[in-house]
Amino acid sequence: MLAEKTAPKAGENTWLWLLKIASGLLIITILIIHYVVNHFVGEQVLLTYDDILRYYSNPIVPIMEGIFLVFVVVHALLGLRSILLDLHPTRAVLKAINGLFGLVGVVSIVYGLWLLIVVAWRGSAG
Amino acid sequence: MDESLRKPPPRSWVQAWFDPRRRDLGTFAFVLNRVTALGLTLYLFLHLIMLGNLARGPEAYGRFLETIEHPVFVFGEYLVVLAGLIHGFNGIRIALTSFGIGVPYQKRIFVALMVIAAVAGVIFGVRMFAV
Repeated sequence: MLAEKTAPKAGENTWLWLLKIASGLLIITILIIHYVVNHFVGEQVLLTYDDILRYYSNPIVPIMEGIFLVFVVVHALLGLRSILLDLHPTRAVLKAINGLFGLVGVVSIVYGLWLLIVVAWRGSAG
Repeated sequence: MDESLRKPPPRSWVQAWFDPRRRDLGTFAFVLNRVTALGLTLYLFLHLIMLGNLARGPEAYGRFLETIEHPVFVFGEYLVVLAGLIHGFNGIRIALTSFGIGVPYQKRIFVALMVIAAVAGVIFGVRMFAV
């Protein structure tokens, strides 16, 4: 039977739980755009290098993709953390998970934003 | 009924895990959500790493595109699209019920959302494999 309601689980802060849901809803919206652009717009199935540069030369695109990147990374890591919580980690293990996921999140977002800026820069220059 | 007849036959944990019988719809919804979550998370980080080819210039990105045009990669990519559709549409139900909306109808909501995901899946399949 489906649970009456989903709710934050032990070790999951209410705000993090809410962030997981809110980010999920935002992701759905941008993901649909992301899928359609990548599979229905190009001449071939996937966008070529030049297609991508042209697409990113519109300033709305890097902004949208930047927001998408941040929320997808946060949602993925919070989700993975909530799966790991079901394995009842000890306090020390949970602390290690928090630290590792925080680091992975920051590195991924910084790297992703750098990549976005490089592509958008080249797009606006060419 | 005799108690011994009602007990299921002893099974190994592998059978117990993968036996789809006597499962509720909610269990399938839960399993689908978790499996797609793990797949999508793995893909997300692969995707970010692979898109690094964009920074290396048009030749490197062109070579990368040639590699992933192989049917095996197209099929893998299609699985990612399906996983995203399933996880996203099922997520709408989870978000709704999290705020107490539509809780009594959530099985019907789940089935309806999965039908939408399946239709979208067919449309993407035609586009990705027909070209």
